[in-house]
Amino acid sequence: MRRVAVTGMGLVTPLGRGVKTNWERLIGGQSGIRTIERFDVSDLPCKIAGQIQFGDGSDGTLNLDDVVDSKERKKMDDFIIYALAAADEAIADSGWKPADDEDAEMTGVLIGSGIGGLPGIDDGSITIATKGPRRLSPFFIPSTLINLASGHVSIRYGFKGPNHAVVTACSTGAHAIGDAARMIALGDADVMVAGGTEGAVCRMGIAGFAAARALSTAYNETPTEASRPYDQGRDGFVMGEGAGIVVLEDLEHAKKRGAKIYAEVVGYGLSGDAYHITAPSEDGNGGFRSMRMALKRAGLNPEEIDYINAHGTSTPKGDEIEAGAVMRLFGAASNTVSMSSTKSSIGHLLGAAGAVEAIYSILSINHDIVPPTLNLRNPSESVQGLDLVPLEAKEKKVRAALSNSFGFGGTNASLVVKEFN
Amino acid sequence: MTSPDRRIVITGMGIVSPLGIGLKPVWQRLIAGRSGIVRLPEALVPDIEAKVGGLVPDKKDDPHGFDFDAVPMRDRKQMDRFILFAMEAAAEALAQAGWQPATERERERTATVIASGIGGLPGIVEAAYTVKERGARRLSPFTVPSFLINLAAGQVSIRHGFKGPIGAPVTACAASVQAIGDAMRLIRAGEADIALCGGAEACIDRVGLASFAAARALSTGFGDTPEAASRPFDARRDGFVMGEGAGMLVIESLAHAKARGATPLAEVTGYGTSADAYHVTSGPEDGSGARRATLAALAMAGLRPEQIGYLNAHATSTPVGDAGELAAIRSVFGEGTSSPAISSTKSATGHLLGAAGAVEAIFSALALGEGVLPPTLNLTSPDAAASGLDLIGPATRRTSVEHVLSNGFGFGGVNACVILSRWQG
Repeated sequence: MRRVAVTGMGLVTPLGRGVKTNWERLIGGQSGIRTIERFDVSDLPCKIAGQIQFGDGSDGTLNLDDVVDSKERKKMDDFIIYALAAADEAIADSGWKPADDEDAEMTGVLIGSGIGGLPGIDDGSITIATKGPRRLSPFFIPSTLINLASGHVSIRYGFKGPNHAVVTACSTGAHAIGDAARMIALGDADVMVAGGTEGAVCRMGIAGFAAARALSTAYNETPTEASRPYDQGRDGFVMGEGAGIVVLEDLEHAKKRGAKIYAEVVGYGLSGDAYHITAPSEDGNGGFRSMRMALKRAGLNPEEIDYINAHGTSTPKGDEIEAGAVMRLFGAASNTVSMSSTKSSIGHLLGAAGAVEAIYSILSINHDIVPPTLNLRNPSESVQGLDLVPLEAKEKKVRAALSNSFGFGGTNASLVVKEFN
Repeated sequence: MTSPDRRIVITGMGIVSPLGIGLKPVWQRLIAGRSGIVRLPEALVPDIEAKVGGLVPDKKDDPHGFDFDAVPMRDRKQMDRFILFAMEAAAEALAQAGWQPATERERERTATVIASGIGGLPGIVEAAYTVKERGARRLSPFTVPSFLINLAAGQVSIRHGFKGPIGAPVTACAASVQAIGDAMRLIRAGEADIALCGGAEACIDRVGLASFAAARALSTGFGDTPEAASRPFDARRDGFVMGEGAGMLVIESLAHAKARGATPLAEVTGYGTSADAYHVTSGPEDGSGARRATLAALAMAGLRPEQIGYLNAHATSTPVGDAGELAAIRSVFGEGTSSPAISSTKSATGHLLGAAGAVEAIFSALALGEGVLPPTLNLTSPDAAASGLDLIGPATRRTSVEHVLSNGFGFGGVNACVILSRWQG
């Protein structure tokens, strides 16, 4: 099997647009969680979210005109626009440009989303009910279909290799990167643009997850304190939106063209809980197995992992179950590994989370700094003993990092990224 | 010869379709030339031009229909319609395969990969109305898990205790071909020994119909003769007919099948996928993307084009789509005696979107096993672009074939092809 390198990265998150802005703000302990002002939240129990800041492109804002002109934007729901923005950055960063048909045919795209065009479907449904079906836009289907994120990226850049899209709820982004890495390893493509995107911060999205009693509701007045993984005061996750996209490449292909290599994707593990549609199995067995499989495929022992970017969504049950599985798998190495949840800064980006967090993990390797878990002032008893990097980032040599993502439906994915020598 | 742990065989199949549920009755109806397309209830489409669809029949009206009344209340609350269909087809496929993992190791080595193009659209729409009319607090706690696309795989894995990898491709109308391809890769990469894979779709509601109608993709000219509406390759075609249902396959490494004494129904020998990188809703006229996917599948199978005896076309009955596919077929296979026999079973089932690829792979496997090639209903005046190609018309053809190819192409410019080969002991 071929080795897989990461040669480009792109981010659009509640912390801002761009990898550099994200990293500075993340390790600076900033939060991207704010009061929702885009739509009416008066009857919603949760009134906060990690939202993309739009603007003229300065100060880390996302200038939509830089991504797609306003006429074309009408044909795309938010999740597609975020994917294009992050893909633009990642592809430019990688310097990859197919020179001929053969190059183009060996370059594929695999971008997932947990929910896809929810705002568009919501609007369309109401249009049909109130104005009639003939008033529906002809672009309703292509603007909301999940695989159109991959579709638009392939069309914009002429990438004619495998074109794919996956959905595994909150583990989507990790599955997309792992599946794309497998395609390269097996020789289906030389280069893959892969990641996750989500744009479901709308009335329906908040109402739906609130009904499932998954969201934080106690911090509407102090939004930056709401996402507090492992803290005793946590009461649910905070929804976020955005996208994380990487350019993955056959290592030899990357070396041959002299690309800069951020890290190597060395391990991918995936599993099903076969337990419950929304709750993780109490013993954390599913997460345990996906982490174990990822380490095994990476050929690494737990003590060689210096940083874990946890799934840690800030829900009362999930955080402790994950921490327990980590402690069981890592044994004595639990005392030396650092584990943080960057969802404390940006909220839970659902289908984009795994990809954004894989990028944060790679950055921790590149910079030898582990990002903090904000708001972690009183850790739950069962997680004590783990270094959860409370409140402030910390300098530390990071040789390899593990990133976890678990989703509704009992689906788990773990990625291991390693420094490239 | 590829080693037994790299060879992949199908050992079970299950189907829910407009022609009914269950492999046997559905296949018999298909080769008897029956159509599953009906006139939709007027209450659904008073103001929508598309008046026909391929609905899964209710057991109340059809002995081989879906027993909607038998679905437990608990499942009804938690699962949108596409998930119900996925559960039913999965149960049939697993029963035929005789696969019920007994040990923890077996559970952990069983993958579940179920595609859908659209997922729980009816559930989202209902939720949108609830939020608007009755307020956000009236939403059911099961709203989100009932419409999430990966919950088809999630619910099936929970029901049967499968703890291996879970996947849910969503590549529009190619999604369930890619589910088969993804499951193959999982097995070949050593991440699972056996996989339940396929697709499910159920979005024939007002929003689903209106949205594809708004994209001018649906047939509108056969409201009074529903059975004549889906007519791939025919000069009078005017758009596709939406269908619903699910198709599931159990695939496993040959070594795994042999070790447990399972009977292979067919071998999955080739898979290829590509992107058009052309347009969001239409493919290039020359079918170059489809051609590349076909060539990739042939290369994996180690077959020459003339070895393909039957081709189950994507052919949705849209003028542009059919033309691109015909161009691709012509460029790969040539004309005359080198052309495989070609039919589109969408003529009988309509277009099952994210479930189409799996349902059509099942029809292709049955054609291999039975030596019977299903017809293209309503194909009375073939498109001039098809001249020289061996299109199967409205009559079923009895011919033994060794290798079959099934195509699935989707919005976003995604192409996927799978090749199945006759199992020879």
